[in-house]
Amino acid sequence: MPEPSLRSCLAPWLHLFARRRRRLVLGTLLLAITHASAVGLLALSGWFITASALTGLALAAGLAASLDVYVPGGGIRFFALSRTVSRYGERLYNHDTVLRFLADLRGRLFAVMTRLDERSLARQRASDWLNRLTADIDTLDSLFLRLLAPPLVALLTVLLVAALLAVWLPWLGIVVAAMLLFAWGWLTTGQAWLGMGASRRLVAHLQRLRGQLIEHLQGQAELEAYASQGWHRQRIEAQEARLQFDQRFLARLAGFGVALVNLTVGLAMLAALWLAALAWQQDAISGAVMVLMPLAVLACGEALALLPVAFTHLGATRGAAERLNALVRAGKTRGMAGSEPLPAGPLSLSLCNVSLSYPGALQPALHGIDLTLAPGRRLALIGASGAGKSSVAALIARRLPPSEGEIVLGGVPLAQIEERALRERLALLGQRVDLFQGSLAANLRLAAPQASETSLWQALAWVALDEWARQLPHGLETPVGEGGRALSGGQARRVALARLWLRDPGLVILDEPFAGLDVDTVTRLRPRLDAWLEGRSAIYLVHQLDGGDFDPPGVSHVAHLVQGKLTVCANRGHPSG
Amino acid sequence: MNDDAHRPIPRRWLAAHAAGQRGWLTLAALAGVSVGVATVAQMALLAWIVSRLIIDDAAPGELGGAFALLAGVLVLRALAQWGQEVAGQEASLRIRQRVRAELLDHLAALGPVRAGDRHSGGLANQLVEQVEALDGYFARFLPQLRLAVAVPLLILGVVLWLDWLAALFLLLAAPLIPLFMALVGMGAARLNSEQFAAVSRLSGHFLDRVRGIATLQLFHRTAEATAEVHRAADRYRQLSLRTLRVAFLSSAVLEFFASVAIAVVAIYVGFGLLGYIDYGPAGELTLFSGLLILLLAPEFFQPLRSLAQHYHDRAAALGAADAMLVLLAEPVRGATSRPLDSEKDLAVLKMATLSHPGRGRVVGPLSVSVQAGEVVAVIGPSGAGKSALLQLLAGFVTPDTGQRLVRPGLGIAWLDQRPLLIHGSLADNLRLAAPEASDSELCQALERARLGELLVALPEGLDTRLGEGGVGLSGGQAQRLALARVFLSRASLVLLDEPTASLDEDTEARVVESLRALAAEGRALVIATHHPALMAMAGRRLSLTAAGLPNDVEEGADA
Repeated sequence: MPEPSLRSCLAPWLHLFARRRRRLVLGTLLLAITHASAVGLLALSGWFITASALTGLALAAGLAASLDVYVPGGGIRFFALSRTVSRYGERLYNHDTVLRFLADLRGRLFAVMTRLDERSLARQRASDWLNRLTADIDTLDSLFLRLLAPPLVALLTVLLVAALLAVWLPWLGIVVAAMLLFAWGWLTTGQAWLGMGASRRLVAHLQRLRGQLIEHLQGQAELEAYASQGWHRQRIEAQEARLQFDQRFLARLAGFGVALVNLTVGLAMLAALWLAALAWQQDAISGAVMVLMPLAVLACGEALALLPVAFTHLGATRGAAERLNALVRAGKTRGMAGSEPLPAGPLSLSLCNVSLSYPGALQPALHGIDLTLAPGRRLALIGASGAGKSSVAALIARRLPPSEGEIVLGGVPLAQIEERALRERLALLGQRVDLFQGSLAANLRLAAPQASETSLWQALAWVALDEWARQLPHGLETPVGEGGRALSGGQARRVALARLWLRDPGLVILDEPFAGLDVDTVTRLRPRLDAWLEGRSAIYLVHQLDGGDFDPPGVSHVAHLVQGKLTVCANRGHPSG
Repeated sequence: MNDDAHRPIPRRWLAAHAAGQRGWLTLAALAGVSVGVATVAQMALLAWIVSRLIIDDAAPGELGGAFALLAGVLVLRALAQWGQEVAGQEASLRIRQRVRAELLDHLAALGPVRAGDRHSGGLANQLVEQVEALDGYFARFLPQLRLAVAVPLLILGVVLWLDWLAALFLLLAAPLIPLFMALVGMGAARLNSEQFAAVSRLSGHFLDRVRGIATLQLFHRTAEATAEVHRAADRYRQLSLRTLRVAFLSSAVLEFFASVAIAVVAIYVGFGLLGYIDYGPAGELTLFSGLLILLLAPEFFQPLRSLAQHYHDRAAALGAADAMLVLLAEPVRGATSRPLDSEKDLAVLKMATLSHPGRGRVVGPLSVSVQAGEVVAVIGPSGAGKSALLQLLAGFVTPDTGQRLVRPGLGIAWLDQRPLLIHGSLADNLRLAAPEASDSELCQALERARLGELLVALPEGLDTRLGEGGVGLSGGQAQRLALARVFLSRASLVLLDEPTASLDEDTEARVVESLRALAAEGRALVIATHHPALMAMAGRRLSLTAAGLPNDVEEGADA
């Protein structure tokens, strides 16, 4: 696959910026005013001092001379003030803009991620990936302040100063413009080009280093036992050396850029002074204007100062954009929703020769699965962890496309079912329970936004959490903490069960429904679950059935899943327990 | 912050690391001072050339030497500037490397048990991101801190020599500098802490929703959640703007000072030259001295402005250092064992106990001896301290009381439920146990661990890369890979912590078969387990009670 160009990488994000064009223009303008004031302040001050000196000399020589001190004095005061005020305004306004982008970016990316399938999401649950995602978003939201406004403002400042000087001496204006534009061009393209590879690699280096360190920490026991900690440390150090090699290169490159800006601005000042001196000697300009010229050039330096570091690290922004673009592409590939409705009542299910392969895996995760479930029946799918039970659930819930085979739910091919109908008629309680920051009520209402407070209490009563909830000082409004951390594992699981109860599904898939619950709770919940499942179809995913209290209720038949293959299917004459 | 008396102050710890790179940091500061000197020289030459042209009516041609000299100064200044960046960065790179090594050494000294108490993701974050967060402090802030004193003093000296009244303007500003420094510092600290808290809250909210996307999909609530993510970010914007309004004021004040200094000096010099001021040295101002004072006035404040820009680096480094010192303050393992002089025993625990912080005593007091070539099953309810017993035998942790005695030069192998898979080839993963092993030895070990068929299936044999971006192994395969490492090692004592806990029956049977082969080689195996098949293998059972005490009767396997 050919490398996407820098422009095509950034284009989707620049589009997002373009929606706030007015803010960008105004922010850039404020920044430009700041720099123009700096130029004006120094240049006018130089002019004023020289004019004063000349007038003073003339007066001392007894000549009739006068200088209007009020206009330049006022101008100097004005520039001093406008520089401060516009700087403050610019910083505040532009940070506001950046924060608005942040909101846009997060909203957009979240929308993309809600379309990802189970496999992409599983990969992305890792905290490492999430950290990188936030870092990438932060990199992109500062794009405007680092890479868009500064070069634009620097260009404007250079052109403005050159044009101002050209009013008196066109040649001088052209020479200054040529020198400063060379510096500008080098900073925005040369630095970026040289630093591209290294700055793009940095994230990968850091990522790899973090991965190796996690290995080192998690495998400390084995490494220490085999006395190979030093051996593994060397691998880590080699990775650190690769990281530092690129960091050193980038720092030197950025330092070079900074030095080059100052040198070029200095030399442009020198050229302006030389040319202005020649013109002054020929009486083409006044002495005061002659001094104004090099000082105006000197003051341009500040406008160029931000560019070297920002553009040396352009590759980092590019890398961030590439990763986010890949995420957007992954979100687009999922187009599984159809438009067919589902029948009411318990749903039938059939899987016909279904296989699932993950890229990079030696064996398919699921291989030739044939399975049928009549409406109202309850199947226990038994298998060790890693046998493929969760994959079966993900396939039925249309959270993964099968590599082969067909799945039919309620008589409708799975791919043709309308999204809303599928979600309303199919309930899945996975191994992981997701509770969100927010109140208990908000977490329950996830299942039924319109549910009344009474029905929320009923749902809690159903999972025997109502007494506990009534004791809480804030009742239903109690915050559950990030990821539900304020709740115990068992409580979180029961909240998740209560969420299911608030809906009216025709097929329920429960992955170890009683995991993490104590015996007393299970004895209370089991008959209630049994009753609720009456008139619905159900699939239980379990490690084993041992005929004890923790077996899910009313299993009508059993299937064993071993290493991605269904081995034994058996009808159970009598419901267990 | 200094609640723990044994913990060094973050600032001191950073200073100690800076002292280790004194050479580069001094070079950076010297280069920075050279930039200051070159700036003064540049401005002086500029003012002198202008003065010669205008006051002395010199022709530009006569001043060729001065122009050349100015060009030379500009080049020198650029070189010094580059040198400052390079030297500062070099110091920072070396310090970061040292800090990372210090942390890793400490973690190794803590041992797998104490270091393992911590979340490895959090530790890795500390070793990577937090160490990287020290960069700005050493590369830029520290050199700039010295410059913020030296360069203004240099400029003040020059201005004093030119015109004491102008110097007085700057000097009057000088006592204000610490004041504004404090203001800037407070602003930055406030920006940092408040903003940091707000950012992490927002990121927390965002990540919370991202983690739960699967659930949102299942309940068909993704559209609402997306709108909510946007709303939360916008609320955060409004909140943080309130903070920023204040925080930016401090930098605005510095900006104001730099601007006003130019304006005041320009007007003072201008009026002095016009002869409007007949007080003090104003009458002696010339175009040269006046222009030079004007050009130097902004440079007087420049180092301070740069320092203000790098102030957040300091806060970030102090925050990172504080967290690192918590880790470094954790006491390391003492000597874990004494030599054992015995014909038959490999390792012995004598009345050893172990407690974990917050959980109290997990095992002991108990005495165990393991003889060469025997197979011991450690059994007991979960929480009985079976793992702790193995860890004590391995020397991963020092017993609180009692002793561990081992035969000198004893080789140990370890295997638990989560075998280490390193990012690299299959061969790398095996050589971890025996760096010198030949390819055929590796193949043999794989064969014995019942992984021969995997080796055949792999596209590039021993060189196949495992893990992310390579071939993924199942839990059972990973476990057998770890077993292959045991075969490869010369360890005579093999400690296994629930080696078959997460495996299905088939795989379990294979692992048990391999373990039998290990025992047949004459290695001593100590296995913590619930599985009957493994218990049956053992020549002897060591049963622990729920309280971590040995059951009175040591059962024989055939009993």
